[in-house]
Amino acid sequence: MTTVLGQTPPKNTDTPPTRRRVVGMLTDQRMALGVIVIVLFAGFGIINPMFFNGPFVVYPLLRDTATFTVVGLAQMCALSIGHMNLAVGRMAAVSAMAAGFSFERLHMGLVPGSLIGLAVGALVGAFTGWIIVKSQVNSFVVTLAMDFALLGLVSITYTTFTSAAAFTTKPPGMATLGNGSLGDYCIGNLCGAPNVPLLVFPALVSLIAVQYLYGLTRVGRELLSTGASLRVSRLSGIPSDRRIIQAHTISGLLAGLAGIMLAVASGSFSAAIGSEFMIPSFLGPVLGGTLLVGGAVSVLGTLLGTMLTLVIRQGLSVQGFGLETLNITLGFVLLVALSTQRLRTVTWRPWRRSRA
Amino acid sequence: MKSLWGRIPLHGSGMTLTIVFIFGFVILVVTSGGTLLSHLAISSLLIYLAVPILIGMAQMVVLAVGQMNLAIGAMGGATSALMAVLMTDHGLPVWAAIIAGLACSTALGALNGVLVVLTRLNGFIVTLGTMTMLLGVQYLLVRTFTVDGYPDWLKKAGLQTVVGIPYMFLTAILTAIVVSWYFSRTIAGRRLLATGGNPLAARLSGISNDASVFQAHVISGVLVGIASLVTIASAPGINRSIGGDWLLPSFAAAIIGGVMLTGGAVAVFGTVMAACVLRLVDVARAQYSLDTSWVNFVVGVVVLFTVALSEWRQRRSTLQKMTAEVPE
Amino acid sequence: MTFALEASGLVKEFPGVRALDGVNLTLRPGTIHALLGENGAGKSTLVKIITGVHQADRGELRMAGEVRHFQSPLEAAHAGIGVVHQERNVVPAFTVAENITLQDPPRRMGIVDRDRQRRMASEALVTLGVDIDLDARVGDLSVAQVQLVEIAKALAFSSQVLLLDEPTASLTGSEAEKLFEVLQTLRDQGTAIVFVSHKLEEVFAICDTVTVLRDGVSVLESATLREHSRRQIVDLMVGRELAEQPVRHRTVDRSITAALRLERVNTGLGHRDVDLVVYPGEIYGLYGLVGAGRSELARCLLGLHPVTGGQIVLDGTPVRIRNMEEALHRYRIGYVTEDRKEEGLFFEMPVRHNVAVTVWRRLSRGIRGVSQRAENDVTSRYVDQLDIKVASNQQLVGTLSGGNQQKVSLAKWLAADTQLLIMDEPTVGVDVRTKADFHELILDLADRGLAIVLISSDLPEMIALADRISVMKEYRIVGTIDNNKDYPKMSVQIMDAIHETVHTVA
Repeated sequence: MTTVLGQTPPKNTDTPPTRRRVVGMLTDQRMALGVIVIVLFAGFGIINPMFFNGPFVVYPLLRDTATFTVVGLAQMCALSIGHMNLAVGRMAAVSAMAAGFSFERLHMGLVPGSLIGLAVGALVGAFTGWIIVKSQVNSFVVTLAMDFALLGLVSITYTTFTSAAAFTTKPPGMATLGNGSLGDYCIGNLCGAPNVPLLVFPALVSLIAVQYLYGLTRVGRELLSTGASLRVSRLSGIPSDRRIIQAHTISGLLAGLAGIMLAVASGSFSAAIGSEFMIPSFLGPVLGGTLLVGGAVSVLGTLLGTMLTLVIRQGLSVQGFGLETLNITLGFVLLVALSTQRLRTVTWRPWRRSRA
Repeated sequence: MKSLWGRIPLHGSGMTLTIVFIFGFVILVVTSGGTLLSHLAISSLLIYLAVPILIGMAQMVVLAVGQMNLAIGAMGGATSALMAVLMTDHGLPVWAAIIAGLACSTALGALNGVLVVLTRLNGFIVTLGTMTMLLGVQYLLVRTFTVDGYPDWLKKAGLQTVVGIPYMFLTAILTAIVVSWYFSRTIAGRRLLATGGNPLAARLSGISNDASVFQAHVISGVLVGIASLVTIASAPGINRSIGGDWLLPSFAAAIIGGVMLTGGAVAVFGTVMAACVLRLVDVARAQYSLDTSWVNFVVGVVVLFTVALSEWRQRRSTLQKMTAEVPE
Repeated sequence: MTFALEASGLVKEFPGVRALDGVNLTLRPGTIHALLGENGAGKSTLVKIITGVHQADRGELRMAGEVRHFQSPLEAAHAGIGVVHQERNVVPAFTVAENITLQDPPRRMGIVDRDRQRRMASEALVTLGVDIDLDARVGDLSVAQVQLVEIAKALAFSSQVLLLDEPTASLTGSEAEKLFEVLQTLRDQGTAIVFVSHKLEEVFAICDTVTVLRDGVSVLESATLREHSRRQIVDLMVGRELAEQPVRHRTVDRSITAALRLERVNTGLGHRDVDLVVYPGEIYGLYGLVGAGRSELARCLLGLHPVTGGQIVLDGTPVRIRNMEEALHRYRIGYVTEDRKEEGLFFEMPVRHNVAVTVWRRLSRGIRGVSQRAENDVTSRYVDQLDIKVASNQQLVGTLSGGNQQKVSLAKWLAADTQLLIMDEPTVGVDVRTKADFHELILDLADRGLAIVLISSDLPEMIALADRISVMKEYRIVGTIDNNKDYPKMSVQIMDAIHETVHTVA
C-alpha cells in the first residue's frame, strides 16, 4: 500500500517486529562474513598451495589488510553520520606528505613526524567538516571539491620541495615498521609467525579506539544519532554540528594514518599515496554492515569486509587472474551485498535530499 | 521568463557562462598575441570540446532525476576499448564496430537503470559497482597495450573540418540540440523532468518514476557512447586510461552549468557553455604554463560555490518548503 | 437525483485504533459541503479513503450511484475525484499550462502539443474565473496562485468531486476571498465540493451543507448548514459528554518565582508582543488553530528561530537560548515535539537509545563511557513508570504503537529531569486509553512541580488539563483565560476568542 501524504499507519504492537534488530542483523552479517573469509582463504589455498606462502602472499595480505582496514574505518566514521568522505585518498596523501616533509626537511624522528602527519590529516578533516556545517552543502559535493583542492596542494608541494616528486628520507625505525614482523620480536615461530607484519599494530589500535568510541562513549552514540536523524538529534539536545565536524576530523585522522602506513610500507612518500583508497574505503564498511544512510556501524564488519576483498584480490592474483577479474568480481560482490542489505533494512532514502 | 527561440533562456547560468567565455576568450587571444586565432588553435579548441560537452550532458541527464552516474568514465573506456578491439582483433568493419559500441554503451546505461530500479539502491552505489566492474572489463580488453589497429582515416576523422569547424564538435553540438529538444518537447522527456522535479506529483499524475530513472540512465549511456565514438575518432589509439579522467569534468560541467543536484531540470545550454569555459581554463593553463593542480583547485572551489549558492536559493524558495515530502 | 459521492457505513481500523466507526456522507452536485471535526475525529482518514490512499474495512463508497473501491490515489483521480492537499504538489520547474495538464498532456506522436495544452489550461482557468499567465513558471508563483493552478488541474480532468483540505491554511485574507469566489463559481457550474476546514467562520461563509465527525462517527450527516447555529456545530464537534469527565481542580502557587516569563516577545517568525507567565506546577495552555503560531513560538523560545524583541526570563533570570542543547542541558527545558516521527524519535533505534539520549552525559563514567546497563536501568525505570508496552528495551521504536511511541518521546525528557516541559499536541494520533493515561500523567507531573506549557488544538483536552489558557491567533495572543474547568462556559469563551464572535450569555 502506498502512502501519499508522508504518513504511515501506526504499527501493530501485537505482531512481533518483522525486522531484525540492527544489532542482530549486524551480528548475523559479521558471522556470515567471517565464515566466508575463512572458507575463501582455505579454498584458495587448497586450489593453489602457493597461496599459503608466508613472505610473498600472507605477509603482504595482512599488511594490506591493516592499511585498508584503517581506510575503511575512516570512511565508516563519515558514514556513521550519514555522510561520505570522497577525499579519503587525498587526505591520506596530504598526511603522508606532511610526515614525509617532517622526516626529510625537518629531520624529525618516526614518531614525531608521523604525529605531525596525523595532525595535518585531522586538521583537513576538521576543515572539511566545518565547511559542510557552515555551507550546509552535501558532504558528497564538499568532499569531492576537497579532493580536487587537495590534489592540487599535494602536487604543488611535491614539485616544490622535492626533486623526484617524493620524500625519500627514511627516519630510523621506518624500515623495521614497514617490513618487520612479529617473528622478529617473538621467539621464532611462536607468535604465529614472521607472517604478521608490525603494521597490524596501528590497525589494531585504530580498531580498538573506534570500537571504543562507538560502543562505549557518549560522543559515539551522539554521532550515530546524528546519522540516524539530524533533526531528531538536534531537538534532543545533541550538538550535531560539533559532532559532524568531529566525525570528519576522525575520518581525516584515520585516512592520514592509512596514508602514513602505506608510505612506511612502500618506503617513500609521494603524491600517489592514497590514489587507490576511494573504492576500498566503501567496500569494507558496506560489506561489513555499516549503513550508507548513517546511524549504524560495525567495526568488526569493516575489518571483515576489508579482509574479504583483499583475500579475493590476493587469491585471484595468485591464481594468475589479472586486475580485470578482480575488479569485475569486486564490483559484483558490492552490488550483491548491497542488494541484500537493502532488502533487509529498507532504509533507502533518495540521495537527492540534502544531507548536510 | 522570455527566451530565444523558446529554448535558450536569456538569463541564468547559461548566459552568464557565455559572457564569461567570450570575455575569457578575448583575454586569451589578446595575451597570446593573436596566435589563439589561428586555424589550428581554434580547431584544437573545438575538437577537445566535444567529449566534455557530451559527458557533461550524460551526467546532466541523470542528475535531472536526482541520480548520478559514477561510471561515465568506465563506460566510455570500456566502450571505446570494445570498438577498438572489434576492429583490430576481429576485423570488424568500422560501421559495424560503431553500431556495436553504441549498443554496448546503451546497454550499460540500461543495466545501471535496471539495477537502480530493482534494488532501490542509491545511484551512487550502483554506478560505483558497475564502474568497478567496467574498469576490469576495459583492462580485460586492452590490457597494457594501446590498441590502434583500425583504419587511419578513422583516427584522423576527428580532425577533419567542414568550413573550418571540426566534425566532432558539430557532432557534439548537434547532440546537444537533440537533447535539448527531447527535454523540452517530447512527452517522455517532460515525464523525466516531472519525476525529477516532484516525484510525488509525478506519481499522482500517473507517471512512472521508475521508468523515468531507467530512461535517464539509458540516455546517459547513449551519450557516453557518442563520446566514445568521438574519442576513437580523435585519439591515436585506445588504452586502459581512456575515460579515466571523464568523471570529474562530467560533474563539473553539469553542476557549473546550472543543473541542481536535487534534480528537476536540465540545462543543456548551461552545461555546454560550462564545458566550454572549463576547456578555456585548460587552454589558459597551457598558455600561461599554470600548474594543473591550481586549475583543479579552482574548479573544485567553483563547483562547491555553485552548489552552495543553489542550495541557498532553494532554501529561500517558499514553494520548496511547501512541496509535500516524498514518501518511501 | 444521484449523488456525486456517497459514503455509507464506512469503518476503518488501524492497529489499536478505530479511526472510522460508521461514517455516512452524501454529496450532491452543485454544493459546497463542509467536513468538520476536531483532531482525531476521523476527518483525515475519511479524506484518505475518498482519495484512494486507504481502503475502508467495511462500508461503501459510491459515485453517481456506482460502487467504487479505489485501490490507489491514481484510481481515484481517474474516477473523477480531484484533490487539493494541504501541501502544494506541483512540479516547480514546469509552467502553469504544463502543470495543469500534467496528468495527460495532449500530444502528437510523442511530442507535446503545446497549442492544445495551452488551450486546455486556458479553458480550465477560465472556468475558474482566474487569470494566471500560462507560461509562468509555477515555482515563481505565490502559494495562493499555485493552489488555484492545482484546482485548475483537478478540473482539467473533469473532476466531478473536488476535495480541498484546509485550503486557507497558508492564505492571506484577500487570497482566501478570491478562493471562495472561485469555489462559488465552480459550485454554480455543478461541481460537488468537499471543504475540509477548522475555520468555522469560513465554513459558515461559503458552505451549503455540513457533515460533522466526532470519534470516528458522523454525528451530523449532510445537513443544511443554515439550519444550525455556530454554537450547535461546536457542541457537536467537541461533544458534551466529555464534559462529564471527573474534573481535577488544581491550585497553582503564583507567589513564587515564575518558571518562565515572556515579556513583550517578538520573533523573527512574526510573533508580536507575546506576554505569558508560567509557574512551577502550572499547566499553561496555548490553544489555537493550525497556523496560529504556537509551535513556532515554542521553537523560538528554544533558540531554533530568532527572537527579535522582548525578554525571556527563566526562574527570574533573563536568558537568550541559542539551541536545544543549551535549553536542555543548561536550563532543563524539554520539548515534546508534535511530529514524533520526524522530530521526536529515532524510529530505527531501540527504545533504550531513545530514552537515554538526553542523559548520556550524566550516565557517562569517565573513561568507562556509558554502560548499557546504566542505559537499561534508566529506560526500565521510565518504561515502568509510564507503563510503556515494549517487548524489551531493545525493541525498535518504529515498531511500537503510536501511544507507546509518544510515551517514549516523553520518557526521554522525564529522564533528563526537566523543570520546564513544552508539550506540543501530546496526544495526537494516540488511542483513547493512552490519551487518558497521558492526561493523568500530565496532571501528575504538574503536581510534582514541573512547569508545563501545553500546546493543543484539542479543546476538551485543554479544558481538562490547563490551569490557564492563552488563545493564539495569527501569531498573537488574543486572550488569556483562567480555567475554571467548567466545560460549557470555557469552551464558549475560547471559541469566542478564536472566532471573534460576540456571544450573548445564555
